[in-house]
Amino acid sequence: MALTTASRPALPVPAATPPPARGRRKKNYAARRSEGLAGYVFLSPWLIGLMAITAFPMLLSLYLSFTNYDVLSSWEFVEWVGFDNYEKIFTLDPTFWQSVRVTLTFGLIAIPLKLVASLGVALLLNRERRGVGLFRSMFYLPSLLGGSVALALVWVAMFNGEGAFNAGLSIFGIEGKNWINDPDWALATLMVLTIWQFGAPMVIFLAGLKQVPTELYEAAQVDGASKYKQFFHITLPMLSPVIFFNLLLETINGFQGFTSAFVISNGTGGPLGATKLYTLHIYDKAFTDFEMGYASALAWIFLAAIGLITIVFFSTGKFWVHYSDGEN
Amino acid sequence: MHPATPAPADEPTQHHGSLPAGGLNRRHLLRLLAGTAIAVPAAGLLAACGGEEEPAVDPNAPVTVAFFWWGGEARAKLTEEALKLYTSKHPNVTITPTWQAFTGYYDKLATISAGGNAPDIFQIDDNGLAEYAGRNVTLDLSKYTANKKIDVSKHPESLTKYGQLGGKQVAIATGENTPAIIYDKTKLTELGIEVPQIGWTYDQMITWGAGVTTKAGGKYWGLMDPSSDYKALWLWLRAQGKEFYDGPKIAFSEADLVAWFQLWVDARTKGATPPADVCHEAVTGSVATQLVVTKKAAVSFMWSNQLSEMQKATKNDLGMTAYPGDPKGQWARASTYWAASRTTKAPDVVADIINFLVNDVEAGKILGVDRGLPNNLDVRKAVSDALTDQKMKDTVAFENEITPKFGPAPAPPPKGHSGLRNTLRDIAETVSYGKATPEAAAKQFFTEAAAALA
Repeated sequence: MALTTASRPALPVPAATPPPARGRRKKNYAARRSEGLAGYVFLSPWLIGLMAITAFPMLLSLYLSFTNYDVLSSWEFVEWVGFDNYEKIFTLDPTFWQSVRVTLTFGLIAIPLKLVASLGVALLLNRERRGVGLFRSMFYLPSLLGGSVALALVWVAMFNGEGAFNAGLSIFGIEGKNWINDPDWALATLMVLTIWQFGAPMVIFLAGLKQVPTELYEAAQVDGASKYKQFFHITLPMLSPVIFFNLLLETINGFQGFTSAFVISNGTGGPLGATKLYTLHIYDKAFTDFEMGYASALAWIFLAAIGLITIVFFSTGKFWVHYSDGEN
Repeated sequence: MHPATPAPADEPTQHHGSLPAGGLNRRHLLRLLAGTAIAVPAAGLLAACGGEEEPAVDPNAPVTVAFFWWGGEARAKLTEEALKLYTSKHPNVTITPTWQAFTGYYDKLATISAGGNAPDIFQIDDNGLAEYAGRNVTLDLSKYTANKKIDVSKHPESLTKYGQLGGKQVAIATGENTPAIIYDKTKLTELGIEVPQIGWTYDQMITWGAGVTTKAGGKYWGLMDPSSDYKALWLWLRAQGKEFYDGPKIAFSEADLVAWFQLWVDARTKGATPPADVCHEAVTGSVATQLVVTKKAAVSFMWSNQLSEMQKATKNDLGMTAYPGDPKGQWARASTYWAASRTTKAPDVVADIINFLVNDVEAGKILGVDRGLPNNLDVRKAVSDALTDQKMKDTVAFENEITPKFGPAPAPPPKGHSGLRNTLRDIAETVSYGKATPEAAAKQFFTEAAAALA
């Protein structure tokens, strides 16, 4: 840098620059301010939406989590109860612990498997072959159906005692179980449904794979690196920011899953609480027991937990996520 | 935030498509994340509330009344027709009917009632009545029953009482129904087994059920396992002269519950009922998943007014009789109620509409026995004579047969009941799945009940 500056004799001497520069900066500042204002004006529909639809209800629910609000009584009966709700959750609510257990089991198994599945399929679909576009669309299809009720109902039809899955097993002489109604298998059935919808992370992985410079593979080949080594020493490190991104989003989405568990268990979270995801417990408290204050407290504990997981991800990310611009 | 940096409008969708050229860096990643909402929707959703507009009116000016119920297509047609008949007689009244399936009905009712904007008239059942009346959502109709604006003089007294809480008439029954077992007549005829009768004991019923299972060669079972069903437990208690609730408290003992659980453990051992995973399919009570409909059992534990609806879901001919045990355990129960909102702008009109629906013969003929037998005995007679649906006729015949055997009506279940029946369901299943003994389960139930009803 120093060298470049020195080779430009045409520049004004430093001593002469400050006054105009300050003036210019001031003008610049004013222009920027009005530009900024215009920016906010253009943003305002979104900002108002954020305030009214997200921020306000969130803060209200934070307030409600310290009250005995029960949905139906009018506002004058809402009483401040301090940390009572939070205390009850941790000390007197066996269903809370059950739902935490179910949600963690679900998350720790389903989310990694979903990422592995989506990465695996993305690797297969990354090769340019005839009809690969068709396959990409087909693998994405289940995700289009998303967390839909219809899909959950199909799952019920497929995995109950007389479902298509057992009919398939019986061809091989295997007698299947009543999967969705068996407390030991219901959650697994739910996980399969979640993992099967790997289209969104798959597409992101595909896009990430396209970004890996081919020279690296060529160079590796010249050096005689096996495909296996190429994958672990080129593909994975180059892909690590995308993996990080997918891991974060899938974790957050995964823990918030509600619809399929609700539909498949008919709203019970059963059998025997096997599919009682945390979100279902919140729902029960809010709409069956009308303990909306309590449910709000549950929701805030949930938010804090997800926030904590996110922080852990970000702080451990620097050890395994490699950014191509060399900032780290 | 940096105001001068233009933010691409399509940022949130970017993660589905292309990534920034030259690979990802940290700034891109953060921007992608910022563009993707990572707030917990549950936190926001919980505080969201809805409302319905109700214009202010004076007595003769046009009135709009919001009207809300649950049910299927058929019920919607009947109800809308009856409401049209009312508005044709009262042109100043506009009724805006809204209906939906039972699933989600109470969620929606709760959300629109939040902050005191309940629909002017809404359907409710005894599982929800105390929750709403106890929180002062419902209009006190005592004034109207006293001045005969809502005439209950022709209604059975027990039905009227079943709509009273804390000395107030908080709702008016839409009709009468009773718990009833619905059995598969076709299958029993095939097997050559007699159909169940009113007044059978539980032991008789269970032995009979085991016989069905044996004769059917294990292709289906005799009985649904009703151990997780609050109404079956309630009737079983009442047949022995006991009760489910005493005011806001549980009226039966832990020993009672152990005996109840044990009864059905034994029934399963004898082969009268299917294993827990099969019963679990039917445990929410919805008609479509009942074991009689899915042909996995010969008997389901239902309500008397569900016969016609259930018949539509299966080709086999269905029959109906009382739950086992002394029929004095049964009572004239309000199948559902009409309740009014305390915040309605037109309470007189609302009372008049309710009166019309329960007392007008023409309205009664339109509504039939879809919400149970009409309360008004004159209407009941007229409606029964005019019925054409065979299964509805069977329902009437059954109700008429059992009515003289009824015991006195209990009070409607207290606040906290809707949660407690789920507790019973979940705990009874720990027994049927073999994860808990009847003793341990009963103990657990009383621990949780104490917290739920506190």
